[in-house]
Amino acid sequence: MRTVSMAETVATTHPWAVHAEGLRVRAGRHLAVDELDLALGTGVHGLLGPNGAGKTTLMRALATVIKPAGGRLTLLGHEVHGRADLRAVRRGLGYLPQQFGFYPRFTVREFVEYMAWLKEMPKTEVPGAVQRAIDRVGLTAKADARMKTLSGGMVRRAGIAQAIVNDPRILLLDEPTVGLDPEQRLDFRELIRDLGVDSSVLVSTHLVEDVVASCTDVVMINEGRLVYQGTPGDLVTRGGHGDAGDSPAERGYSALLRRHRTEAGR
Amino acid sequence: MSRVFGIELRRSAARGTALVVLLLGLVLIFFAGGILFADGWMQLAMTQRWYLALLWPLALAAGGWQARREHRSRVAELFASTPRPRALRIVPTLGAMAVAVVAGYLAMGLLAGLWIAGTAEYLPAAAFGVAAVGCLALIAATWLGLAVGRLLPSPVTAPMLAIAGLAAVLFTPWATRPRGWLSLVFSPIDQMNMPDAYTTVPGRVSVAQACWMAGLAITAVLLLASGGRRLRVAAVLPVLAGAALAITVMPHHNRTVLDAVDPVARELMCTEDAPRVCVSRVHSGLLAEFTPRARAGLAALAKLPDAPAEVHEDTTVYPDDGRPAWRADVVLLDVVAAPNGHLGNESSAAEVVVRAFRGRATCENPSDPADDLAAASWLTGQAPVSPTPSTLLSAGTHDPETVAQATQRWQGLRKLPEDKALARVVALRQAAVTCSARDGIITGGTP
Repeated sequence: MRTVSMAETVATTHPWAVHAEGLRVRAGRHLAVDELDLALGTGVHGLLGPNGAGKTTLMRALATVIKPAGGRLTLLGHEVHGRADLRAVRRGLGYLPQQFGFYPRFTVREFVEYMAWLKEMPKTEVPGAVQRAIDRVGLTAKADARMKTLSGGMVRRAGIAQAIVNDPRILLLDEPTVGLDPEQRLDFRELIRDLGVDSSVLVSTHLVEDVVASCTDVVMINEGRLVYQGTPGDLVTRGGHGDAGDSPAERGYSALLRRHRTEAGR
Repeated sequence: MSRVFGIELRRSAARGTALVVLLLGLVLIFFAGGILFADGWMQLAMTQRWYLALLWPLALAAGGWQARREHRSRVAELFASTPRPRALRIVPTLGAMAVAVVAGYLAMGLLAGLWIAGTAEYLPAAAFGVAAVGCLALIAATWLGLAVGRLLPSPVTAPMLAIAGLAAVLFTPWATRPRGWLSLVFSPIDQMNMPDAYTTVPGRVSVAQACWMAGLAITAVLLLASGGRRLRVAAVLPVLAGAALAITVMPHHNRTVLDAVDPVARELMCTEDAPRVCVSRVHSGLLAEFTPRARAGLAALAKLPDAPAEVHEDTTVYPDDGRPAWRADVVLLDVVAAPNGHLGNESSAAEVVVRAFRGRATCENPSDPADDLAAASWLTGQAPVSPTPSTLLSAGTHDPETVAQATQRWQGLRKLPEDKALARVVALRQAAVTCSARDGIITGGTP
């Protein structure tokens, strides 16, 4: 018997978990996301781009933390705009911000449970879901340790645990692998591959190798615009021997970026 | 919710706040001004309220400290992505802090209550009102602290709140002068200092104070829950309504609490067997201790013709209403609870005898206290007692000069034949009954 994934059984009232059309988002006075068109379904999407490309601003807009300045953004079939009631959307969100803030006096379990409460999970499901989330990120032994006693990598994993506790339909991870050692990164890749079966996972990172290894889809942005969307396999073919980088994927990344800059410069 | 509430109880400032309120409260109530609540439960409730002078600013600061947590931990970004509205997110924190201050305050009251549990029997309902207003005042303070701490998230907010709270408590009587009743509306400590034995806090006062504190608490919650400027402006409405209601309910005359007398506390409770000894209801727990001393005093007085047959507690209070009627067959005596809750030194057998020579309070020819003391000493056969420094200030003890004079006159009486001495003592007693005392009754000098 085959395990039926949640994505297969859910009513498809909306074709895309994340759908942006001409999306514009400000970061302060600067238009960090400018006329971005993006559609993300189930799977793991690696978000690549140079520093200042607008990755974090895009993540924040998708997390409903900042409101779009223009265009259209639809999350789980609900349009996000100034007056929208975002409660239903937010129940289906998981978010690990770049600067992950937490209560240092709480234990890992308490903090994840507190986040589950903020995400309005049904009361009876919370204890089990909390334990599962902690187990999945490999913090079982540290579940009852105070957050302030954790190492940087453990804090990151606790951050992932709180993001996935509600089995989010959209999971937004901004630089989740910072502070993880190589072994933990391998575990993490496995985890998000697993999560991508049911959810739309968007992982922002600088590590092209991570994207190739664990993502079903590559999203590249630069200066607030979509540069490229395709499979990791396709990204590898984009680079030539003349492009910067130590691996085919990195060369593909450099080639796409260079071409976008030349086109924009025209 | 309940699990999250448990987490907040454990991990917020709640536990520390409860502990600090309890410990500081105990230090204050036992060591700051001596035991001011030896008389009973109402005095305990009022003394606790008095020490809100420090506990109230402390609760304010605790709220301010707790409120900074979100800012300090930089969780705003993460929490902004969650569905639960801010108004609901703050509920466990509000609850935990309220439970903390109330638990600390009640534990302080209960532990101090152990001190008087063996002797205090009269527990008026009004005492619960006084304690409830104290709890409400602390809840309002800690919630207000949370609200201010949220609006001004800075490390100096909590200490500044403590200072501002202390200033508010201290300057309210000054700021409302000459309308002292206004001070009673706004300050939870007003007129709560050194409560006397028959005092009470009228229900209307507690209700008015509760209105004000409830208004303050609701405003604090609205400020905490509010996202926008409009709601923040609207948040001042409850505190204004609370103040208006409190001002309406509060009796508009000064010294409402200071002049309040609980007639039930003052009612006499007597022994069933003769000779009758009576104490006020608030001191009913002291009756068993008082009775043998009072009866020993009556026994010493038995040599007199028409000797007094009963001893009653003198329940006179200022102002002059409800003074117990003076009767020749009754000795009136102050009954004082000592700091340990038991009967004070002054209520001794010797003092009963002395008081038998004291006329009615309205008498304009009172006897010389040295004569009273000398006559009493002659009856008991014990020398007048010089006051020790610890008893000098308490009611019923005589100053050293009076004691010296009395000793001299007592020795004069002892040199006389028994019947002559008795005649002089009887004459002094007669003068007290008829309000016709003059100098020389004891010394034998002519007027």
